[in-house]
Amino acid sequence: MAVKRRFANAAIFILLLILALLVLAPILVVLMNSFKGQFFISDAPFKLPTLTETADGPATFVGFKNYLSGIEKAGFLSAFGYSLFITVFSVGAIILFTAMTAWYIIRSKGKFSGALYYLFVFSMIVPFQMVMFPMSKVANMLHLDNPVGIIVIYLGFGAGLSVFMFSGFVKSIPLEIEEAAMIDGCNPIQTFFLVVFPILRPTAITVAILNAMWIWNDYLLPYLVIGNKYRTIPIAVQYLQGGYGSRDMGALMAVLVLSIIPIIIFYLICQKYIIKGVVAGAVKG
Amino acid sequence: MKKLLALILAIAMLATLAACGSTGGTGTPSTPAADPSGTTSGDQATQPAAGGELYYLNFKPEIAPVYDEIAAAYEAETGVKLHVVTAASGTYEQTLKSEIAKADAPVLFQINGPKGYANWKDYCADLSGTELYQHLTDKGLAITDGDKVVGIPYVVEGYGIIYNNAIMEKYFALDGAKAKSMDEIRSFQKLKEVVEDMTAKKDQLGIKGVFASTSLKPGEDWRWQTHLANLPVHYEFEANNVDLSTDATKEITFQYGDNYKNIFDLYLNNSTVDPKLLGSKQVADSMAEFALGQCAMVQNGNWAWSQIAEVEGNTVKEEDIKFMPIYIGVDGEESQGICVGTENFFAINSQAPAEKQKLAADFIYWLYSSDTGKDFVTNKLGFIAPFDTFAEDERPTDPLAREVSAWMSKEGVSSVPWSAFLVFPSQTFKDDFGAALLQYAQGTKTWDDVKTLVVDEWKAESNL
Amino acid sequence: MSKTLRKYFAFFALPTFIAFAISFLIPFVMGVYLSFTEFTTVTNTQWVGLANYVKAFTGSRDFLNALWFTVKFTVVSVITINLLSFALAMLLTRAMKGTNLFRTVFFMPNLIGGIVLGYIWQIIINGFLLRFGVDITFSAKYGFWGLVVLMNWQLVGYMMVIYIAGIQNISGELTEAAAIDGASGWQSLIHVTIPNVMPSITICTFLTLTNSFKLFDQNFALTGGAPAKETQMLALDIYNTFYGRVGFEGVGQAKATVFFIVVGVIAFTQLMLTRRKEVEN
Repeated sequence: MAVKRRFANAAIFILLLILALLVLAPILVVLMNSFKGQFFISDAPFKLPTLTETADGPATFVGFKNYLSGIEKAGFLSAFGYSLFITVFSVGAIILFTAMTAWYIIRSKGKFSGALYYLFVFSMIVPFQMVMFPMSKVANMLHLDNPVGIIVIYLGFGAGLSVFMFSGFVKSIPLEIEEAAMIDGCNPIQTFFLVVFPILRPTAITVAILNAMWIWNDYLLPYLVIGNKYRTIPIAVQYLQGGYGSRDMGALMAVLVLSIIPIIIFYLICQKYIIKGVVAGAVKG
Repeated sequence: MKKLLALILAIAMLATLAACGSTGGTGTPSTPAADPSGTTSGDQATQPAAGGELYYLNFKPEIAPVYDEIAAAYEAETGVKLHVVTAASGTYEQTLKSEIAKADAPVLFQINGPKGYANWKDYCADLSGTELYQHLTDKGLAITDGDKVVGIPYVVEGYGIIYNNAIMEKYFALDGAKAKSMDEIRSFQKLKEVVEDMTAKKDQLGIKGVFASTSLKPGEDWRWQTHLANLPVHYEFEANNVDLSTDATKEITFQYGDNYKNIFDLYLNNSTVDPKLLGSKQVADSMAEFALGQCAMVQNGNWAWSQIAEVEGNTVKEEDIKFMPIYIGVDGEESQGICVGTENFFAINSQAPAEKQKLAADFIYWLYSSDTGKDFVTNKLGFIAPFDTFAEDERPTDPLAREVSAWMSKEGVSSVPWSAFLVFPSQTFKDDFGAALLQYAQGTKTWDDVKTLVVDEWKAESNL
Repeated sequence: MSKTLRKYFAFFALPTFIAFAISFLIPFVMGVYLSFTEFTTVTNTQWVGLANYVKAFTGSRDFLNALWFTVKFTVVSVITINLLSFALAMLLTRAMKGTNLFRTVFFMPNLIGGIVLGYIWQIIINGFLLRFGVDITFSAKYGFWGLVVLMNWQLVGYMMVIYIAGIQNISGELTEAAAIDGASGWQSLIHVTIPNVMPSITICTFLTLTNSFKLFDQNFALTGGAPAKETQMLALDIYNTFYGRVGFEGVGQAKATVFFIVVGVIAFTQLMLTRRKEVEN
């Protein structure tokens, strides 16, 4: 029995190893191609770069040339800055404001609060295409079409899921704790920040991760709202496809690699929270 | 009291958000991203319009890098900030649409002819009073509406088949060559004979194929669905004496469709690339193949010079780059020249504030009249400018531009005007035609289907 | 407490509400209204009744084609993603070395954005098809299966993590009891594991369903609809109708409204089904 089991485990291990390599392969292929000359990519994406001339043709290894041209053509550094700025501050705003809103909705128990809650939930199922045109117009009229203004837009769009998740958690907090704080003379603002908000921490992490993943990778919303002036990373990648003269495959490969690296680093550092957050988000969402 | 405090806090919070919102707009893509200066100093937004800012929505992706330099030079000279946005290939109309609806809309944009004007009628200011228009050499080239001048052409361009003379000479020297010089190739029949013989001898010639790949990736197919299609449509209108300013252009029979097929098949079957792979090929690939000496010919215009010149490992010599007309097998094509004209007309947004419109008019005049501007136009943009502010020696000196001039003044041939493609019904028509051409190349659509689509869609799109 | 709190509406709920109104509520109402009008900008509209809806379905076959393509794609990806991720979850919940590392690797693609993913896979798929002398634009089949592979690659790890959590929640006693009763691995899977991870299955089905149905970025980057719009999904068709041509904004908005209704019906049905199950339990 034990031998059989060990044998099965070994077989499964090998199977998983192959699968893991398959999962990583596309990223590795792109990494490899990012070091090849731009005209040697589409025709032979699975060939390793060559250092010297071969029977097939000239040397294809170009060092970091693609990275330099990609960074320059796509404006990658500023794109990275915009992406980081928008993601960090939007997520911050979402956590602060939606946590307050969720607590208010659950604890105030008014009819209006109830209606508000259902509006937020309703917004989760509406596809973006339904509102994209009027929304970009409204954003423009209110001068929100810049990296700071878009934070307001993200707060509005992120509100549905975030309020929903915070509300679910608030319901599970025993009322006595807050009542005790009130009796001690705290006003609602103090109660919220001193007592409730710290308790919400685990949910706040989940909300932060889900929203960060969405905002960092979002393409259409920032493209429509601020895209022609400020390019975030996904917009910069798309821009390399034809907005800047001809499409340079080498630069594209390099920018793809560059846009993946920060995500992988972030993931490896916060892995635990991310996986937990996703599970928690899914179960509640 | 507490309630009041809460309200004030909330308002303060919103106010900071709103204040940030109204100031961020002065940034440009080149300023470092997270620069929060705009969020702290609210008075930045109201800085005096010392030079002002001008928003230009550029149509030509291949000149986007040059415009970065032009913007810097213009700001240095005049203090006016030129904000240039370039739409990706094939997306100009949709970018213009989303941009023009904005508060900070493009002031300077372009229309591609009468059809473009019909779409943007409400936004095209009368340019008859502008200085640039006064200098337009041939006033007939402008787009007009009654007494109003609504579009000023800013470049004259020519296209045909670009060939590498070194490879052709090599072929002519071979035993049994079907021709001994380019002068003999004056018709489709002869071209076909030569091209097919070259394909048979491609190893001797050291090429992968005679023609560069026929780029049919969506957005990269304009050389076929617009430029090449200009010829049969032009001949059709000419044969039927159609007045291009009338509704008679709303329907075509594509009677020269088989001529189109002649040349298109020749491109596909004698190419560097298997026709089944054309769906991911782009113009840049074709130009690189030409520059690297992998093919002898490529259909394109003089604007492609920069794309040939910038390819690393470029083997084709400047003096070997020549133009020949696109022969499609119509009677009397011996006297056909290359295609010369324009689809690029400056337009100024009539709904923009008057001072902005003035800035736009000033900028285009500067570009085509000042020494700095003219230097950019001639040497960096490589434009053949249709204005009398340019002297004879201020023409672009790249080989393709010189060839265009040479063909225009050549005895015994007449250029084909671009007039037909100014009446192509819409971008949707072009896109659908391009998609059908790709399917034809891949063998999943018959030529008859393509023809039917052209005829039906032309009519449908014209009558929308 | 609720009474005191209500006075603090402006502090607690107003900021979110204003942002929500700006980016969602007002645009949503405008969107519904605009779908009955002809407009190029939202300030200049003309009431046309249902004409846009009629045009959406009859103007060209694009919308119906996109709808059908989207449905096919959604069905196939929901099935493949859930089967694969469940199988992986089963393997990774065995007592075995290295499961954590595998979990890390399998989950990672989920973090990469749709646009980036689309271009990564375009290279891979075209490189593979090159051996057969074609590329992804050759046939809608390639685009379809390309998208399915891409979605699997992206979402299997995500769903796997949810299934793992579900499986780990099953108490050891249950499986042990089954083993003692002499149930084979297969029997215990069907009679013990699956019924107990039903909540996870519901969640994963819902997530894959909505993600696939509303897919835009991946579709946009991988094929862009080629060949000839045959691989265009609903979201992309709506986008192209809106921004692709002048004069079709109303039609685009009408298509978007139809899209919203379809998504709403799916979500509502799912909700009802789950509710009923929960009540039964």
